[in-house]
Amino acid sequence: MFSRAALLTAQRPLTVAATRSAAAAAAPGGAIERRQRPEHPGKVRLGFLPEEWFQFFYNKTGVTGPYTFGVGLITYLCSKEIYVMEHEYYSGLSLGIMAIIAVKKLGPVIAKWADGEIDKIESEWKEGREAELKVLSDAIEAEKKEQWRADGALLLMEAKKENIALQLEAAFRERAMNVYSEVKRRLDYQVECRHVERRLSQKHMVNWITTNVLASISPQQEKETLNKCIADLSALALRVKSA
Amino acid sequence: MAFGDYPAEYNPKVHGPYDPARFYGKADVPFGQVKLGEIGAWLGRRNKTPNAVAGAVSRAWWRWQHKYVFPKRAGIAPFFQLTVASMTFFYLINYTKLKHHRNYKYH
Repeated sequence: MFSRAALLTAQRPLTVAATRSAAAAAAPGGAIERRQRPEHPGKVRLGFLPEEWFQFFYNKTGVTGPYTFGVGLITYLCSKEIYVMEHEYYSGLSLGIMAIIAVKKLGPVIAKWADGEIDKIESEWKEGREAELKVLSDAIEAEKKEQWRADGALLLMEAKKENIALQLEAAFRERAMNVYSEVKRRLDYQVECRHVERRLSQKHMVNWITTNVLASISPQQEKETLNKCIADLSALALRVKSA
Repeated sequence: MAFGDYPAEYNPKVHGPYDPARFYGKADVPFGQVKLGEIGAWLGRRNKTPNAVAGAVSRAWWRWQHKYVFPKRAGIAPFFQLTVASMTFFYLINYTKLKHHRNYKYH
């Protein structure tokens, strides 16, 4: 109740155990018994006598046995002056009485204060630990979200690839169309060339034939033809008149 | 086993973190369960080298600390226990001198 300084010494083996736990965790046996820090100390009676001492007597002598034994022993020691009551005895007695009064009066108050302190320290540590755990779990969540976002980036990449494929397709079709129209233009030109050529040659031939035919007609023939025409016309006129 | 070494029987792979309050050797019958007639044999089996005695005292000290000093809500009992133990110890070592302060000649 007076001091928790001993707690500092208690924590030292804990840290040592923590540093060594990595090696221990790799043990093939698996289950390793670890010492747990108890919440409450061993029970005592009369301020310092262990409860186990009284339990040891209880089975043989009942409840009053240990007290009777203690009183008997003290009586024996004092009676035979094995325990000598010299001057230190009285100073010890007065010190003991003062200590008992101090414990009875201040004990509960100090115990309450010390319990509050140890709870505060523990809650602070626990808080820090839980805050650390929360930070780590948050980091894991964030990492998962980032991975999810990275998946989204993959999707985006797919879309971009598709887009580029579409663009390539469009360019390809445009060029194919270009080739088609260019070839068609050239072929049309060729066709047009053929047409012009044929027309010209036709015209030329017609001219040549006409000229030659006209040249081959003599004035005699022309005269005969004219006479024949006149005869035909008069024959026609007669037929019209008779009709 | 030199100074500062672990006991020869201690194996970190089997026992885990070292516990100074624990005896790592082969356990004998606890003293509380020894029959009166077997006490001689039991004592004969004890290792009485200075190293072993020092180890036993050390383990007892650690066990006492684990029981009364280290718990979270430890009380004043360990201080009283230490006081009473030291009072007894110093009374015993000074007994030859204190004997002369007796008040009565006959008991």
